Formats: sequence, structure tokens, C-alpha cells
Amino acid sequence: MKELQRFGYPIFFVVMAILPHLLNSRWQAVAITFLIFAVVALSQDIVLGKSGMFNMGQALFFGIGAYTTAILNSQFGWPILATIPLAILIPAVFGVLLAGPIVHLRGDYLLVTTIGFNIVFVQVVQNNLGGVTGGPNGIFGLDSLSFFGTDLISQVSVYYFAFAVLMLTLWIMRNLEGSKPGRALHYLREDQLAAESIGINTRIYKIFAFALGAGIAGLAGTVFVVQYSAVSPEAFNFIQSVLFFSIVIVGGSSVPGVLIGVFVMFVLPEIFREFATWRFFIFGFAMIAAMILRPRGIIPATFGKIPKFLIKESNHGA
Amino acid sequence: MVRNELILTDVTKRFGGLTAVDALSFKVEAGQIYGIIGPNGAGKTTVFNCITGIYKSEEGSVNWRGEEIRGLTPYQIVDRGIVRTFQTIRLFSQMSVAENIMSGRHIKSEQKLWHGIIHTPGSKRDELANWHRVEEQLDFFNLGRFAATPVGSLPYGIQRRVEMARAMAVDPTLLILDEPAAGLNDKETLELLETIFKIRDKGVTVLLIEHDMDMVMEVTDYLTVINFGKKIAEGPPEEIQKNPAVIEAYLGSEDDDDE
Amino acid sequence: MDIFLQQLANGLTIGSMFALVALGYTMVYGVMRLINFAHGDMVAASAFVGLTIYTQVMGQAASLLAVIVIFLLTAVAMACVGIILERIAYRPLREAPRLSAVVSALGASLVIQNGIMLIWGPQMRIFPELVPQISWDLGGVVISLIQVIILVLSLVLMVALYLFVEKTRIGAAIRASSIDQDAARLMGINVNSIIALIFIIGSSLGAVGGLFIGLYYRGITFNMGWQYGLYAFVAAIIGGIGNIPGAMLGGMLLGLFNAFIAGYVSSTWSDAFTFILLIIILIVRPTGILGERVAEKV
Repeated sequence: MKELQRFGYPIFFVVMAILPHLLNSRWQAVAITFLIFAVVALSQDIVLGKSGMFNMGQALFFGIGAYTTAILNSQFGWPILATIPLAILIPAVFGVLLAGPIVHLRGDYLLVTTIGFNIVFVQVVQNNLGGVTGGPNGIFGLDSLSFFGTDLISQVSVYYFAFAVLMLTLWIMRNLEGSKPGRALHYLREDQLAAESIGINTRIYKIFAFALGAGIAGLAGTVFVVQYSAVSPEAFNFIQSVLFFSIVIVGGSSVPGVLIGVFVMFVLPEIFREFATWRFFIFGFAMIAAMILRPRGIIPATFGKIPKFLIKESNHGA
Repeated sequence: MVRNELILTDVTKRFGGLTAVDALSFKVEAGQIYGIIGPNGAGKTTVFNCITGIYKSEEGSVNWRGEEIRGLTPYQIVDRGIVRTFQTIRLFSQMSVAENIMSGRHIKSEQKLWHGIIHTPGSKRDELANWHRVEEQLDFFNLGRFAATPVGSLPYGIQRRVEMARAMAVDPTLLILDEPAAGLNDKETLELLETIFKIRDKGVTVLLIEHDMDMVMEVTDYLTVINFGKKIAEGPPEEIQKNPAVIEAYLGSEDDDDE
Repeated sequence: MDIFLQQLANGLTIGSMFALVALGYTMVYGVMRLINFAHGDMVAASAFVGLTIYTQVMGQAASLLAVIVIFLLTAVAMACVGIILERIAYRPLREAPRLSAVVSALGASLVIQNGIMLIWGPQMRIFPELVPQISWDLGGVVISLIQVIILVLSLVLMVALYLFVEKTRIGAAIRASSIDQDAARLMGINVNSIIALIFIIGSSLGAVGGLFIGLYYRGITFNMGWQYGLYAFVAAIIGGIGNIPGAMLGGMLLGLFNAFIAGYVSSTWSDAFTFILLIIILIVRPTGILGERVAEKV
């Protein structure tokens, strides 16, 4: 595991950095999809894995971000890049508003309310509320990426945009781990009452986790718009949330585990296209088997990120 | 100058028809090691839960340093310098000993929410300073060699120490220990006594519940004895030992010491 | 007023179907603290199994006897599937972290749902007209024979289940297991058998629910389990999951609520209103209407 930490990440980054030059355009598109869904799955991990809140509606925030970008672009003519701040902020605000009244709910009740939010969102955009969401067909024909007047329409530039977003997400998650708010999330996940009794206002941190996860998922939504030049309700429905939820748990809520999960769920089906109709049948079995064989996930998250100076010699015996 | 006194006045807590704590009053003075004893089910832990905000008592007043704290949440009470441990150890069991102790620094750390997203030189300094405070507690409780060990894999006696270290990391004014000797062997109990005295010498007031009478007589300055939620006696240990009502309560009820 | 009474009748019909399915969720949850996500798909599968029994086994006969046989065979078939499901997907995970079992349930749901698709195809199938299309016009309110059958049969089943759980020794064992599995085991209750029994009862009630859905709505699709299952699950939560009368109450309330939304607002908003209702109920009563409040022991 130590080797994976030391060499795994640099190798991953190098491979990902040169990857688009090795792929044809179909596989570039697959790689971009991987990057987008990896970001959403990691954002889900902040809420579900790190904070232990049973959130099964992460596609909601992904969707709000994507629709924010799409509506600002189609209705108000904003360039795609200019929509990014709002595509992060609006989902984050929704994260606060929606999580506020429900974060005190116990596990499964929280799970069903988050499913509920997701379903309400999809129905709202399907019914074209306010006349801006395009109804069941969604919004299409959106602008491509442009930077100070230069169009960046090539797949490669979209790839690097998506890659930058993934890097940003990983960087934020690393910062979170080594900070007071990040530890607070771990504490409340392990024992909420103990966390309160040591001085942690768990409610604030739970809402924070939702808002942070929502903001990151929203940013992934922008990337989604850039890739597909379109948004539609079914891309953000409850079934997508179920997939993200499963990816985090099967992966073990660690970064490598989640990335493997995204790869299996979204890239493998592209490789085995002839089995498309069998896809979810096989995944279903794979999910059951993975959980039975590795109940804590494929690569379980590890704890113990403490400064080196605290680690005395004879402590690895335990 | 406010005095670091905890004054309970007529605190009453009911669960349905059961009155777990019945008009209980007592006063813990600064620098004391104060004990609450009583037979099983006497309502001792409920008193602690009422002080630390886990329960809100229906009646009465909990006054700390001149402020009414009844009705505050647990974290608000920690913020006022009162920290507790639990009878059934409640640690963050998958996390390392050092991280568990670090949780005690949460309330003292100056990092804001957004430091969870971006670090600044100030937040990094704060982080390092707090880890150094964790190191102090590791040394004080002689836990240094377990710093990186997941706490759930450690023996019971060590977990008890980690829980006290976590509480002490808050720099509390009043430390509340809920049966700190429960489950400890004789040697560990002896070490615990020393530790409690050392904590008091740091200027921390200690309020503890204990079942083990010998230990209570050894360690406390002053005692309140409760039975069925009511105070039946109070005084220094040597007086309590002779008090007929206390002897009656202890002899009259089945007292299993090993719990 | 006509709309009101009409939607009342429709709501009670839908509600009794929700309630039957909700019982499966709630009984499993009560004993195992697990949301059996596959239950909705089992319900969907029962409609397809019923269809196949009708065409293959009964030779498309629609006599009363044939209908009874279809219901019985389907219930038995689904009870078997339920036992298999529990053995494969849930029993190995009883000691595992709770979310692992949830993901296993989701996996099982995908397997059953896509299994239906692989066997019966992705397109909508039409469920046979097993009950003659008789209806009565009671002063502007139309009530069909199917509605009456669904309502009466559901109530009979629910009362029977309630009596079984409250009045029999096995029922007491079920209740004991749902309060504390370990204690129940120490008292000599075979918790494994109880869990198997729960799956048998839940799956057969779900099978009846699935056949009712086929009879009432006629069009059945492989993925309808998530739709109806989610509603029934919401009903169980509204009533207080783990609580058997709660599931019945929640199902009826949700059915009526849906019917009135469809009658007075619009059916395109029914999902949204259903979940908004759920969220409001949970904010007001965090463990549902009849759910007990659990205080944490410190």
C-alpha cells in the first residue's frame, strides 16, 4: 500500500497527462467520460465515505451544475468558462439548503430523503419549470469551450480541461484530509456523540460536507456540458446516483478504489460493447461478489495521516 | 474574576414515569477532585449527561462559572471548558491514537471551514502547533509508541488512557470522568490514580463517578452519594465511610464490583 | 365531489398495492435493518412470472380457478427467489458494514431487473385480462371489479399478517428478532429461519402486489420495479419502517395522496409531490408516523 502511494499517483498522473495523444477520438471521449464521472464519484466520497452520511442523490448536484452552465449559456449567452463560478456556487448553495433540514436524520432516512431530492429535481427539469430547462429533451446545441475568443473545440483540449478538474478535486481532497474540517468529518462518521462531546458542532460540518461535495459535483456538471454540448434529465436521474453510491462503497471510499470503481462502471462497458445488454446484469453480480469478498471495499480507505514526528520507532508491531 | 465552580441546584431528569435524577444539588469547587458515588442505576451517568448537554434536565439549574449552562448543546459546553469521558469508551476506533487526541484540539484550532479546501501559511502553522500539543498529551499519558496505531486494536486499559488524553487535549477547566477505573486491573487503577492527581496538579478540576469504593476514598476530596436519583449524603470521604445511610444503600443493594 | 370520491376509490386501490409491497420492505428492515432494494424488482418479476404461467402453464385460461392457481404459483415462485436472494446476497453480509449490504441489495436489484429484461425483453408487455371488465357507476363514481378485488384481498392479507405476527408464537419470534437479534438467539429462536420466513412472507405479498399491478395497470416493463418499489418503500418509511401497521397506513396514505395529486394537480408532478411529502414527514417525525423514537444509550 505504501508503494502504491509513493509510485501510484505519479504514474497515474503521467499516464493521464499523455493519454489523449495515444488514443483515437472515440477513446478520447471515453477517457473524458471517465474523468467527469471520477470527479462526481470523488465528490460523493466526501459526503458518503469521509463523513459517513448515506447520500444517494449526488447526481442531483451534478445535474444542477450542468443545468446552471447550460441555462446560462443557452438563455443568457454566457461563455462556458464564465459559468463555472455559478456552476459551483449554485449547487453548493442547494447543498446547504437541502442538507440543512435533513442532516440530523439517521442513516437510512437520510438516504431516502436524498433519493427524494434527486427525483424531485429530475421531475422539475422534465416538466420544464420556468421554461428554461428544455423539458424531457433537455438543452442541446450548447457552445463549445472558448478561452478569450479562441475556440477550444478539439477533444484534446476538453480532455485537459476535465483532467485539470480532476487534479483540482484530488488537491482539494488532500487539503481536506490534513485540516480541522476534514478530521471533523471523520470523527462524526465514526461516532457522532463522541464528536459532539469533544466540542464538534457536527451539524455545521455535515452541511459543509454536503456543500463541498455539491460544489465539486457542480463543476463536473460544467465539464459534462463541455463534453456533450447538451444536458438532459436522464443523465442526472436517481439511477446515476445509485451508481455513484455503489462506486464509492465498492471502491472502499479511498481515492484509488473510487477511480477503479469508475473505470469498471464506465470504461469497461465501452471495451465490451457487444455485451451491452448484459452490462447491468453482470454489474449486479459483481457488486454482490465484491461486497461479500471485500466488505470494506476493494481498496479500503486508510487512516492514520499523522505528522512524521509523532511516529516513534516501535509502533508498527501492533 | 469568576470562580471555576459548578453548582447544580435541584436538577431533575425524568424518563417517562421514571425520575432518574430527583432534585439533586451539589457544588464542585475549583481544584477539587469531586466524586459521585451510588449503587447501580442510581442515576450517576444521567447526572453527567445533564451537565454535559447530552440530556436536558426538566427542572433545576446547572451553573458553571456564574453562567447557566442547562440547555446548551454538548459542543457549546465543551467550549466553556467542561469535557467528559464515557463509561463505555467512545473513541474513533478506526483512527489512530494521535488522531483521536487531535480531536480534542478541534475546539482550540483556529482553522475555518474553508481551510478544509485551501491551506494558508496560518492554517499550516495552526495545524503543526496543534499536533505538537497532541505530542504533549502522548507524552503525558505515555502513549507515544501507539501514536500511529488504530485505537480500536489496543487493549482496554490503553483505550481508557487515550480517552482521557483526548479530553485533556481540550485544555479543560473541569474534567468529568465516568467510571474511569471500570475494566482496569489493579496496576492500571493505581496508574489512573496517579494520573488523576497529576491532572489536578495542572489546575484542572476533576468530577468523577466511580463504582470502586476503595478508589473513590483514595482519590476524592469530597463526595456526594446518590441513590434512586436523590442525594443521600455528602462530605469528605472519611465521613462518608461512616455514614449509616450510605452503608445502608450499599449493603441494601446488590453491588457487583466488577462491573 | 365526484372527483373526490372517484380519487378516493382509486387511491385506496393504489394504496393497498403500495401497502402489500411496503410490507416486504418493512418486515425485512425490521429484522435485518436492511433496505431490500431488490424487493421492487421482485414485485416486477412476479408480474412477468404470472404472465408466463398464464400463457405457458394455464394455456391462457382465465377462469376463477386459473386465476387462483396463477396467484399461488407466482407467490411460491417468488418466495423461492426471496430465499435464494437472502442466502446469496444478504446472509454473507450480516456482520459486514451496513453500507456493504445496501450495495449488495442494489446489485441484487440490478441482477433481477436486468434478468427480467434478458428473459422477457426490454419492451412493454401486456398483462392478461384475468378479471372481467365489470364496473359499476355509483352516481358518477366508477368502481371496477378489479378495484374491489384488489382492495378486499389486500385487506384480508394484511389483517391475516397482522394477526399472525401479533397472535402466534412464530409471530412473537419475529417480533423478538426485530427488537434484538442476539437476545432472540439466546432465547432459542432460530434467527436464520425467522429471516427466511420474513423473506417468504415479504416476497409472496410482493408477488400478489406485482400481479395486482399487472391486473390494474396492464402494461408491465422490466424496470417498473424501481418505480413501484420506490413508492412502496416511501410508504414504508412514512409509516415508520420496521413497523407492520405503519407500512399498511403509509401505503394507504401514499395511495390516496397520489390519487388526489393526480386528480387535482397533475400526474406529471406525482413523483415530486410524493417525495416532498416524504421529506416533510421525516422533518416533522424523523422516524415516520408510527416509527418508534430511538434514544441512544450513553
